[in-house]
Amino acid sequence: MRVVGSSPPTLEAEDKVAGRTRYLPDEVVPGMAHAKVLRSPYAHARLVFIDASPARALPGVVCVLTRDEVLADPRVGNLYGYVFRDAPLVAIDRVRYQGDIVAVVVAEDVHTAEEALELIDVEYEELPRLLDAEEAMSPGAPLIHDRMYPIASELHPIEGTNVCHRSTLETGDVERGFAEADAVFEDVYEAPPVQHCALELHAVIADVRDDAMTVRTNCQAPFPLKAELERIFKRPARVIVSYVGGGFGSKSRDRIEAVVAAASNLAKRPVRLVLTQEETFLAGYIRPAFKCWIKTGVTRDGIITARSYRFITDAGAYAITGARSANNTVKVAAGPYRIPNAFVECFAVYTNKPPSAPYRGLPTTQHTMAYETQMDRIADELGIDRVEIRKRNLLKDGDIHITGDLIRSSHVAECLDGAVAALSGPAPAGDEQTLRGRGFGCTIKYTLTPPQPSVESEAAVELGADGRFEVRAATVNIGQGSDTTMAQIAAEALGVGLEQMRVVHSDTALVPPDSSTTASRSTYHMGNAVLDAATRLRAEVLEVASGLLEEEPDALRLDGDGVRLASAPERRVALDELVAANGAPLLQYGQCEVGGEYVDEQGKRYPVASTFWTFAAAGAEVEVSRETGQITLSRVSCAVNVGRAVNPVSVHKQIEGGLGMELGPTLFERLVWDGDGQLLTSSLLDYPLPTMSTMPRYETALVEPGFPGGPYGAKGMGEVGSVVLPAAVLNAVYDATGVRFHSVPLHPEAVLRALEEAGEAANG
Amino acid sequence: MRNFEYAQPATASEASRLLADSDDTLALSGGTAAVVLLHLGLLRPSLVVDLGGATEMQGIERPNGGMRVGALTTIRTLETSAAVAVAYPILAEAASQVGSVRVRNAATVGGAVAYGEPQTDVPAALIALGAEVEAQHGDSRRSLPLADFFHGPYETDLAHGEIVSAVSLPAPQARTGGCHAKFTIGSMEHKPVANASAVVTLDADGACLAARVVVGAVGPTPLVAERAASALLGAPIGEANAREAARVAAEDAEPIDDLRGSAWYKRRIVRVLVERAVRRAAERAAA
Ligand SMILES: Cc1cc2nc3c(=O)[nH]c(=O)nc-3n(C[C@H](O)[C@H](O)[C@H](O)COP(=O)(O)OP(=O)(O)OC[C@H]3O[C@@H](n4cnc5c(N)ncnc54)[C@H](O)[C@@H]3O)c2cc1C
Repeated sequence: MRVVGSSPPTLEAEDKVAGRTRYLPDEVVPGMAHAKVLRSPYAHARLVFIDASPARALPGVVCVLTRDEVLADPRVGNLYGYVFRDAPLVAIDRVRYQGDIVAVVVAEDVHTAEEALELIDVEYEELPRLLDAEEAMSPGAPLIHDRMYPIASELHPIEGTNVCHRSTLETGDVERGFAEADAVFEDVYEAPPVQHCALELHAVIADVRDDAMTVRTNCQAPFPLKAELERIFKRPARVIVSYVGGGFGSKSRDRIEAVVAAASNLAKRPVRLVLTQEETFLAGYIRPAFKCWIKTGVTRDGIITARSYRFITDAGAYAITGARSANNTVKVAAGPYRIPNAFVECFAVYTNKPPSAPYRGLPTTQHTMAYETQMDRIADELGIDRVEIRKRNLLKDGDIHITGDLIRSSHVAECLDGAVAALSGPAPAGDEQTLRGRGFGCTIKYTLTPPQPSVESEAAVELGADGRFEVRAATVNIGQGSDTTMAQIAAEALGVGLEQMRVVHSDTALVPPDSSTTASRSTYHMGNAVLDAATRLRAEVLEVASGLLEEEPDALRLDGDGVRLASAPERRVALDELVAANGAPLLQYGQCEVGGEYVDEQGKRYPVASTFWTFAAAGAEVEVSRETGQITLSRVSCAVNVGRAVNPVSVHKQIEGGLGMELGPTLFERLVWDGDGQLLTSSLLDYPLPTMSTMPRYETALVEPGFPGGPYGAKGMGEVGSVVLPAAVLNAVYDATGVRFHSVPLHPEAVLRALEEAGEAANG
Repeated sequence: MRNFEYAQPATASEASRLLADSDDTLALSGGTAAVVLLHLGLLRPSLVVDLGGATEMQGIERPNGGMRVGALTTIRTLETSAAVAVAYPILAEAASQVGSVRVRNAATVGGAVAYGEPQTDVPAALIALGAEVEAQHGDSRRSLPLADFFHGPYETDLAHGEIVSAVSLPAPQARTGGCHAKFTIGSMEHKPVANASAVVTLDADGACLAARVVVGAVGPTPLVAERAASALLGAPIGEANAREAARVAAEDAEPIDDLRGSAWYKRRIVRVLVERAVRRAAERAAA
């Protein structure tokens, strides 16, 4: 291979570094007006009265969207959501969290819009608020929604409660498994909500006309959004996504596109909204609060006989996507282990907090934290080496996963060895001020997989009049370098160099459909579609050349200069000449079908529970201050079975980025509300984020056995770097201090208090 | 952010007059705090007076062996100035711990002082050095000890329309050392849990002749820890008296519970920081 496996700089790198790349907040559309959102000051209240006429009277105000305007327009639906349809465009009769959308002002400029917000007269009647998922689940808790409206078939709300989704996964006989165990371990783990804090703020410019609408946004799923906008507004929609400055799940299925479109529909002109960082904290999607109960039975030798696992995520006020995010991790919640008897139970629960979203790996991160820190406890209490006990249980190729899926490319033991080897050297020793330790963990990650075979991604590759190839792929270039990856895959298949390629991305009018840029899915799914299209196009190019050169296609070679006869290279046709002779550009489509069953060589059938499973391991070396409780990560290792790295440098950086991002929620990030549901961490002044000064040294390693079915053997890996970090850090902190923590973040105060109890603090 | 009028007068006295002219005016120096407050809607002035045009408030002078730092001097200049490094290394040290280079390039000494935020680093070090603050109202100027300047969180001795024009420091003493220590959760850009500045002077035998200890972020203003300073006097500074100073400084601190930690935790941090600052200051004084 020439292009796949090499690491050219990403195609847009120079433009980005030079500041030439245009992001959505930079865009100006002729005639556009500016929107600002009036948000609920209360966590839960009845909307008694709203009168926007004083705001409408302010000079410079174009219009104000309230429930009255939404309900009055028969061409505008009032509920948003294509996974769970429960979010009104603006509040109809209730507000369900502090920051919920009450009205939208459209004005000639942002300042006027902001001023007008204060002129809207609103009367609320406060309702009892539920800020904790367990409390919201308790019998008799007031209901946050009067009815449930799941769209995705896998979602199962419990009517008459706040549980918007419950699901289970069971294999074997758990009771028997516990009875067979020599020891049973039970632990409870918790993690608070955090904000994704993508560098680029969420922005939308909507232009809704009578017969069509165009929405520019920096979302992660342009095609599903297009379909949802068409359903709500009953007219054809075009969704355009430019370069996106990070999303991590926060831009996956938000309702603000629909809200701004409704405002544009009312204003009858293009309307732009850019959320502020503070609005993102108050009302953007968040990683939900999480709690789990894990019970594991093991033999004396550390072999797992049974595991039962129950977890609750706080879906927030609207289950637009949070319920499905939780459900998407049920399959991996028991870990990368052979477990003969398993029971997993998932709850997603409405509360009066902001809606929840996936956060780089969904709650897989929290599951991993639970099963991997418990695994260290089991090892220590049974007197078995912490790496050895894992190896006795880790899934190998040929094992059957708890979903019934056949494991076909695990190599997780190799990943573990890699993560351990990367932190080799004498065990770090503590001293008077500092305790030091190392910890490790492994994980398994799922990607969105339909139960029945279906095409989830399509792509096109065209040979244009200029003799260059254009890849058209809906994958959102969100900083991960997807354009380059797709161009590399196409160039490899065509047999040309990367300089022959250009990429058009994520404009629904220009590229074929794709489900989303989430769940680490693009390299596999879109990569396969691009590979398919490029392979077909190569055949077509040779076919056309065969006519021109009057030689069999098999005797021809395609390269950067054109098509030539293998045996007589001087007989050639240049690519632009070839297109000219053909009379039109050459265009081919490709697709990626996933889901259904896998049939092995003996003809045995297995359900494909995940199109690919991503396995990884990570290690952390920590320093814990005995004076302040502060934890510093000195080195972090991570090894991932990526199948094959299309662009190794991008893959390494993607892993590092994930580790660096998760460092925050592991050590200090958390969203905090007071008892009234008022957000206290309402801006970056009160919400610390990791920066270069907190970064450890990274040692990343790739395991590349190749994955059959992946484009050139590649699997997805965009999220897995972050997933193991909290587990590895918690294990390292135990190694250093002898204290087992059951929650994150490891706020220095909590650590110091624990050290003090354990007699490990300095100057106590 | 609301619309406002903007002016950039060429002199301090004109700036002061513009600020005094109406009720809702705001002075702007580096803008690292002011712009955040405007953005959050916490301040809604009708007129913003940019002090940056009053070039007389720029620059560092050395009158009588001391130092006069113009209000527009950036924190980055304090950090990198050779004169500061030689005469008042603690000031360079405190400056180097403020936020990030981008923040330090914009933020000014005048802004850091006038803002009156109890968490701020540079004022703590300035108080430990015995600084005086110069305030200008129209054409009239006055001077007062910086230790007396702060009245509460974001409240200072400045009258409406009065601006900070400079900060001045007494001439450095022999056998004197200082240290500024801070503790932040997360990254350096975040507000500190606490900070501590110590300046000590030793006599020829190494006994502590004079000491000033200031702790920040653990009270409504930077607190001058007088009992801590007294605990150091008359003897060489070592583990025992440094710890005692740290203990009483923590006792005298007035922290509150907030997102950065409980009052208990902040007192613990004060102890760590004061002990560290005092001992390092003594080592530097002896060197
Ligand atoms: C990301 C970030 C990180 C930071 N980290 C730290 C840190 O680690 N340690 C720390 O100490 N600080 C830190 N700060 C705060 C920063 O030091 C202060 O914001 C700064 O000192 C204020 O100076 P300025 O020139 O920017 O003031 P401005 O923002 O311009 O003004 C601040 C206030 O003082 C008033 N004002 C300004 N100049 C004068 C004057 N000459 N006379 C009268 N009134 C005046 C203004 O009206 C305003 O109310 C940080 C700030 C940011 C944004």
